[in-house]
Amino acid sequence: MLKVVVPVEEEILRAAERRKAAGAGEDIAQFLAELVSLGYEHRLQQLHRQFEAGEISLGYFASELGLGLRDLYATLELRGLPTSNIGAKPSIAGG
Amino acid sequence: MLTDIFDAGPLITACKFESQGKIVIDHLLSGCCIAIAPRVEEEVAVLGAGYPDGVAAGERIAQGAIQVVPVVARKWAQHLADYALGDGEKDSIELCGQVEGVKALVTDDYLAFVVATRLGVKAWMLPDLVLELTERGSLAVEAAQAILKVIRPRYRVGVIEHSLVRLQEVRKDAESGGAGRGGDPASG
Repeated sequence: MLKVVVPVEEEILRAAERRKAAGAGEDIAQFLAELVSLGYEHRLQQLHRQFEAGEISLGYFASELGLGLRDLYATLELRGLPTSNIGAKPSIAGG
Repeated sequence: MLTDIFDAGPLITACKFESQGKIVIDHLLSGCCIAIAPRVEEEVAVLGAGYPDGVAAGERIAQGAIQVVPVVARKWAQHLADYALGDGEKDSIELCGQVEGVKALVTDDYLAFVVATRLGVKAWMLPDLVLELTERGSLAVEAAQAILKVIRPRYRVGVIEHSLVRLQEVRKDAESGGAGRGGDPASG
């Protein structure tokens, strides 16, 4: 995994330190890395909801996520999600 | 021969899936001319060069089977400005207003489909093009059916089912030599 220096809000850092002090968590850096991953996933899901609703296009989705369109296509495919947003939503149809 | 402008999504799908021993794009190229914007080439064949479909697209571009047409006039720039469309989608729509003899924009994207339609551009999903080529006799019904089934995973529920019903109508129409269209966009 790559290592980069990023500013972190004090509140988040204090939470990570408290978790570690209480023995509830692992290494602080690992905790923060997990938060970054969760944030990325959250962003992906947020944009996917907008894409599903037809508010944004696939190209815009890719651009906002910082992925190439082909990589986004692969990401959706890996998750078993259609790359077209025309038609009934899979969840509605049970598909 | 028809010229259709492909957006990136359907181009990837057409270059990715194989039916009856050849990739879908080759079935389509036997019945229509395909043109794309440079931005779509970049998204699919350059940035997507790590994928087999990106390589397939790149090969067909290099052979001239898929034409890459620069966008030289942006007559709809203001119309498109505030939509949450990507550059590839915007350029594909602009190409439809620029290239002579364009039959349709082929896109599987809801927003691009709606915006293109609002601008008076005929928009088809990839399955609609498959139907159109079948209606015109460029694609056999059996080949079209196989293509629709193989690309099904990329579509939401309803789209392929609709197309398969239409395909049966096309088959019956061809057998009877009469009319009987089902209101599909491809029938326009």
